[in-house]
Amino acid sequence: MNKFQEAYFKQAEFETRRHFLKQCTTGLGAIAMGSLVGCGNNTERGLDKLAGMANPLMPKPPMFAPKAKRVIYLHMAGAPSQLELFDYKPELQKLDGQDCPPSLLEGKRFAFIEGTPKMLGPLYDFKQHGESRAWVSDRLPHFSKVVDDVSFLKAMHTDQFNHAPAQLLFHTGSPRLGRPSMGSWVTYGLGSENENLPGFVVLVSGGKTPSAGKSVWGSGFLPSVYQGVQCRSEGDPVMYLSDPKNISRDQKEKIIKGINTLNEEHYKEVGDPETLTRISQYEMAFKMQMSVPEAMDISKEPAYIHEMYGTEPGKASFANNCLLARRLAERGSRFIQLFDWGWDGHGAGKEEALDHGFKDKCKDVDQAMSALLTDLKQRGMLEETLVVWGGEFGRTPMRENRGGKEMVYKGRDHLLESFTMWMAGGGVKPGITYGETDEIGYYGIKDRTHVHDLQATMLHLLGLDHEKLTYDFQGRPFRLTDVSGNVIEKILA
Amino acid sequence: MRIRNRQFFKSIYIKLFMAVWIVLVITVSCQREETEEINLTAIDYNLHVRPIINKNCIVCHGGVKKSSNLSFLFREEALAVNKSGKRAIVPGDAAKSEMISRIKNQDPEVRMPMDHAPLSKAEIEILTKWIDQGALWKDHWAYVAPEATDIPKVKNDNWVENPIDQFILDRLEKEGLEPSEPTDKTTLIRRVSLDIRGVPPSIDELNQFLIDDAENAYEKLVDRLLDSPQYGERWATMWLDLARYGDTKGYQKDLHRNIWKYRDWLIDAFNQNMPFDEFTIAQLAGDLLPNPTKDQLIATAFHRNSMTNDESGTDNEEFRNSAVLDRVNTTWEVWQGTTFSCVQCHSHPYDPFRHEEYYEFFAAFNNTEDADLQPEIPFMDVYTKAEEAKIDSIKNWIVQNGNSTNAKNKLDSIKPTKLPIMKELEADKHRVSYVFVKGNWMDKGETVTSGVPDLMPPLPEGEKADRLGMAKWLVSGENPLTARVTANRFWAQLFGKGIVATLDDFGSQGDVPSHPELLDWLALEFQGEMNWDMKSLLKLMVTSAAYKQSSKVTAEGLEKDPYNYLLARAPRLRLSAEQVRDQVLAVSGLLNKKMFGPSVMPFQPEGVWKVISSNAKWVMSEQPETYRRAIYTYRRKTSPYPSMSTFDSPSGEVCLSRRINTNTPLQALVTLNDPVFVEAANALANLTEQKSDDMEAQIKYAFQSALLRIPSQQEMLIMKILYQEVNLETKPIDELKLEVASVNREVLKTPMSVVANAILNLDEFVTRQ
Repeated sequence: MNKFQEAYFKQAEFETRRHFLKQCTTGLGAIAMGSLVGCGNNTERGLDKLAGMANPLMPKPPMFAPKAKRVIYLHMAGAPSQLELFDYKPELQKLDGQDCPPSLLEGKRFAFIEGTPKMLGPLYDFKQHGESRAWVSDRLPHFSKVVDDVSFLKAMHTDQFNHAPAQLLFHTGSPRLGRPSMGSWVTYGLGSENENLPGFVVLVSGGKTPSAGKSVWGSGFLPSVYQGVQCRSEGDPVMYLSDPKNISRDQKEKIIKGINTLNEEHYKEVGDPETLTRISQYEMAFKMQMSVPEAMDISKEPAYIHEMYGTEPGKASFANNCLLARRLAERGSRFIQLFDWGWDGHGAGKEEALDHGFKDKCKDVDQAMSALLTDLKQRGMLEETLVVWGGEFGRTPMRENRGGKEMVYKGRDHLLESFTMWMAGGGVKPGITYGETDEIGYYGIKDRTHVHDLQATMLHLLGLDHEKLTYDFQGRPFRLTDVSGNVIEKILA
Repeated sequence: MRIRNRQFFKSIYIKLFMAVWIVLVITVSCQREETEEINLTAIDYNLHVRPIINKNCIVCHGGVKKSSNLSFLFREEALAVNKSGKRAIVPGDAAKSEMISRIKNQDPEVRMPMDHAPLSKAEIEILTKWIDQGALWKDHWAYVAPEATDIPKVKNDNWVENPIDQFILDRLEKEGLEPSEPTDKTTLIRRVSLDIRGVPPSIDELNQFLIDDAENAYEKLVDRLLDSPQYGERWATMWLDLARYGDTKGYQKDLHRNIWKYRDWLIDAFNQNMPFDEFTIAQLAGDLLPNPTKDQLIATAFHRNSMTNDESGTDNEEFRNSAVLDRVNTTWEVWQGTTFSCVQCHSHPYDPFRHEEYYEFFAAFNNTEDADLQPEIPFMDVYTKAEEAKIDSIKNWIVQNGNSTNAKNKLDSIKPTKLPIMKELEADKHRVSYVFVKGNWMDKGETVTSGVPDLMPPLPEGEKADRLGMAKWLVSGENPLTARVTANRFWAQLFGKGIVATLDDFGSQGDVPSHPELLDWLALEFQGEMNWDMKSLLKLMVTSAAYKQSSKVTAEGLEKDPYNYLLARAPRLRLSAEQVRDQVLAVSGLLNKKMFGPSVMPFQPEGVWKVISSNAKWVMSEQPETYRRAIYTYRRKTSPYPSMSTFDSPSGEVCLSRRINTNTPLQALVTLNDPVFVEAANALANLTEQKSDDMEAQIKYAFQSALLRIPSQQEMLIMKILYQEVNLETKPIDELKLEVASVNREVLKTPMSVVANAILNLDEFVTRQ
C-alpha cells in the first residue's frame, strides 16, 4: 500500500467508525436506508421496489369505510354449551330426563351419542339483564352487566362436528388444511398499524395449542409474513426475541449496525433489492425486541385494572391474555386471536363436565372478558375494536350417553345446528339478539348464521368485501369464505 | 377427444408465449379507444379465445356453475341447445349465435357478462371471427404430449455450453438482452454445492477447485457432488414436501408415527439414482409389483403420510375417505401438476376434467387396507441400518455355527419398528366407489369403476386399472405431463422458479411457460435419452452457461426483467430452511454427518409443544445427535420446528410444491438469537481462536469459513470496529445463572463470537448467489 492509499484508508476508517458510533447513539432508525439513498446509481429503483417489498405489513387502505379497525377474537376451544349460558330453553327443562324422541335422532350423526339418549334440561338458572333484557345464566355474573354492549347471534350453525375440522372452518373458512386463517387474510388486506409489533397476534391460555394445531393461525398459501405470531406467556413472548444473556441492548445495536453496514457494502456490490429488504427487517427485529416485551408486560398496569380483569402478572391465564389483547389493540395490532380451552363438556370426565369443570371455566372467562369490553369502552376503543366470542360448534339438548350408557357426570355431545356467539363494538349494533332456535335449542329457526356469514360480516366491518379479498392460488382466486357467506346486515350499527 | 393434429397443436404451443403478448397488446390498444387495427386472420382457440372465455365467462358457464345449462368447458356442451332454447354457439355462423348477440347487447339486463363491464370491441371481434371460422376447440398445451423440436440457432454461440443455453439465449436475443458473465469460481462452487448437496464447500474443497485448471474441473466437481451421500439428503428434502412427510399423524392428537424408514428409503433412492419411473412405481404401487422387495414395500409409505385422525368421536370411514382423497390429490399434484382437488366437489372450473373422472381415479386408490385406525395397520417390520447389519451378522453366524439359544435371544432382542405401508385388500373385499356429490362422502352418487380421465392417454396396453396400472400410466412416456412437471420441479430448485412458475398447476389457469420449447426439450430428454435418470437431468442443468452465469443485478437487467423470467442473470435465492440450518452447522464445524434412522430433537425453546390433547414431549437429543442435518429433525405436523417454519418450511399436513420465500424480522431473530445459532457463532469463534491469536487473522478466517471469500478492506474494517467496540457483559457464568451444558447456547462468549454472530447473519450468508 502506498502512502496515498494508506491515508485514504485512515480517513475511511475514521469515517466508518464515526458513522458506526453515531448510529449507535442515535438509534438505528432508517439510517441504513438513508445512507443508501445517496449512494450508487441504482438505488432509486431499488427504493422504488422497496416500498412494496420491505414491509408487506404496511397499512393498506380498506375497500370501503370501515367500522372496525381491528379484531379481538376470543375462541373458546372445545365448544361451550349455549344451553348453559345464553340460549334459555324452559321447554327443555320440562323434558329433562325423558327419552329423546326418535324423530330427533333419525338421520343424524353424533360424535358419541348412541341409541336413545335422555333429554337434559338447562343446568343453571337464567335471568334477563340490562335494558336489552338479554338472557344470561347465573354462570356469568360479570358478563350479565355488559350485555347492553353485546350483539348475540343465537342461531349459529356449522358443517363440522369434530373439533379440529370445525376450528379450521372457523379460522380458515375450510375444514381442510392449507387455507390461510382469518387473521392472515385481514393482515394481508389491511396490513398492520404498528410495524414494531406483529400485526396478527395469537395468545393461548396456558400456552396450549388448540386441537387443529397451529394451522388455525397459519397463512396457508399466503406468504408466511401473514401468519399469526404466537405471543407466549412463558419464555420469550415471541420466540427467539431475547438476546444471548450477556448481550445488552446497546451491544445488540452495535451488532445489528455491523450486520447492516456489511449488508450495505454487499448491496453496492450485487444490487439486489432483497438485500435492502433484509436490512430493514433487521431494524424491525431490533425494534420488536423492545416493543414486544413492553407490550407484553402487564405488571405496570394500575391495580384497579388488575382487579377489574382478575389478572396476576406472570401467570398464564385467559385473564392475562384479555388484558394483553387490550394492550396490543392500543398499540395497533390488527388481529388479536385468543384461544381458551377446556370447554368440551361431554361429561366424560369431571374436569369438563357441565355440572363440574364447566363452572370453573365460566369463572375463568367471565370477569376477564367482561372487563375487556368495559375497559375498551372506557378508553373509547370499543367503537373501533370488534370483539367476537364463541366456540366451534354447539352442544346437544340431549345428555351424552357415551357407549349407550348413562354417565356419572352431566354433559352434552357436539351439535352442528345451533349455538350462540356474541360480538361487540366495531360497528355491531349493541344490545340486540339476532337469530332464534327451536324450543329445545336443537335447530335454528330464524335468522340462521353460518360460519361463512360470520366471517363475511367480520371482514365487512373491517372495510373488506369478502368476495373481493382474494388471492390467486392453483389457478383460481381463493377467499376466506370459499363460495358462500352473506354479510348479516341486521346486526350492523 | 383423442383426435389430435399433433403438429398443428405443436406450432400453437410454440406461439403460446407470444400469444400472451398479442392479447396484451390488443387489450391495451382497446383501452386506447381502439384506434389500432386488429389483423388476425386465423383465430386460434388457445391463443385468443380461451383467455377471453376463462376471464369473462367460465365462472358462471364452466365446470362449477352451469348457468342456463351452458358451459364453455367442452365443445359439445357449448354447442348444445341451452335452457333458453337457443344455441350459444352455432359454428360458422356468429350472427345466429346467442353468445355474440348477448355480448353485444346494449341492455345491461341482457348483456353478458352479467353485472360486469362489457367485453371490448377487440374481444367481441375475436369471438365473432372464431365462431365464423367454425368455433374449433383445442386442448390446452399441457395435455398435448411434447414433441421434438429443433434446438434454436443463436448468434452468440460462444456463450453456449449445452442446448439449454440455446433456448435461453434465443429468447434473450429476441428480447434484446444479453446473458451475464460467468460467475467467479468461488461463487460457483458455493452455488453448486448448496444446490446439489445442501451444504457449502469447505475451504479445502474450495482450494482444490480453485487450483484445478483442467478444462473439466467443474464437471468433475459436479460429478463428485452428485456422488456424495449428502446429495440424497438434499433432494429427499425437496421430495418430503411433496410427500407431506412428518413424524406424526396430524389432526387433533397428532400422535407419533414411525415413518422415518420411508425418509431413509428416499435418501437411498436419490443416492442410488433410481430412475424416476421406477421411483414413481415403487412409491405409488410397490406392493402390487410381483414379489415386491422390502424396499419396494417401504416406498409405499409415501401415501401413508396422509393424516390419520385419532380424535375421539370421529368416524373412521370419514377420515379414511379423507386420506384417499388426499392421496388422489397428492398424486395429481406431484406427477401431473394438476389441481385435481378442484374436481373433488364438481367438474373442474377451467380444465376439462369431469367430476366423475375424479372418482374413477379415486376408485383405484380406494382398495387399501388402512382405515384411519389408531394402530396404523397394515405395518411392516423395519430396522435401522445398524440393526440390519447386526441381524445380518447374527444370521451369518447361525449359518456357520448352527442355531443357538443365545443367537436366537440376540435376534429377538432387536425389536422391529412398525412402518405403515400400503396393502391392497383381497379382491373379494374391494370397496365400491361412488361419486361424492359436491365432494360430500355421505352423499353418494353413481358408482364408478377405476379409470383415467378421457382427456388423457389411455392406460398402457394390458395394464389393469389399479394403483399399479395408474403408476405405470404416469411414467408410460405417453403421459403428456409427468416428464414436464418433474423436469420443471428440478429446474425450479436450481433456477428459483419453474419454467412454468406454478409448479402445482399446468392447467389453463396456471402460469404460461417462460420457455415452452425448452420445457418440452427437457421433458423429452429426461424420459427419452436419459431414461428418467435424475442425476443426468440435474447435471445437464448445472453445467449450462445459464446456470453458471453471474447473479449480479444490474440496473438495466432489473428494469427490463425485474423478476428474471428470462434468465439474463442467475437468480439470487434465499437459502431454504434446511440449508440455513445445515450451512450454519457446517461452517461452524458442528455438523454431524451421520445419516438415517429415527428423527432427532435438537434444541427447541421450552413450551412449543404444549398441546391440549396430547402429552407428547420434546426431549432434546443427546449431543452430537443435536447437530445432525435438518432433514433428520423431528417434524410434528401441528407444531413444526419453529426456526425452520420461520424460514418457510411447510408443516407436512398437505402436499406442497412450491415454498414461498419470505424475508421477515422473525427470521432475523432466529439467526441472531436462536440458541442453535448462538452456539454456532461460539463454535466458529472457537475455531478461529485456535487458528490464530491475531484479531484480524481470526476475523478473516471466520469470514472466509462462512462466505468462502476474503473480506474487502472496508468489510474488514467494519468487523474490526464491531470487535473493538462491543462490550460484553463480563459477569461470570454462575452469576448469569447458566447451566454449564447450555452456556454455549446462551451467551456470546468472546468478541470474536460477536463477530461470528454478525457474519452468520449476513444477507450473503443466507443467500445462494
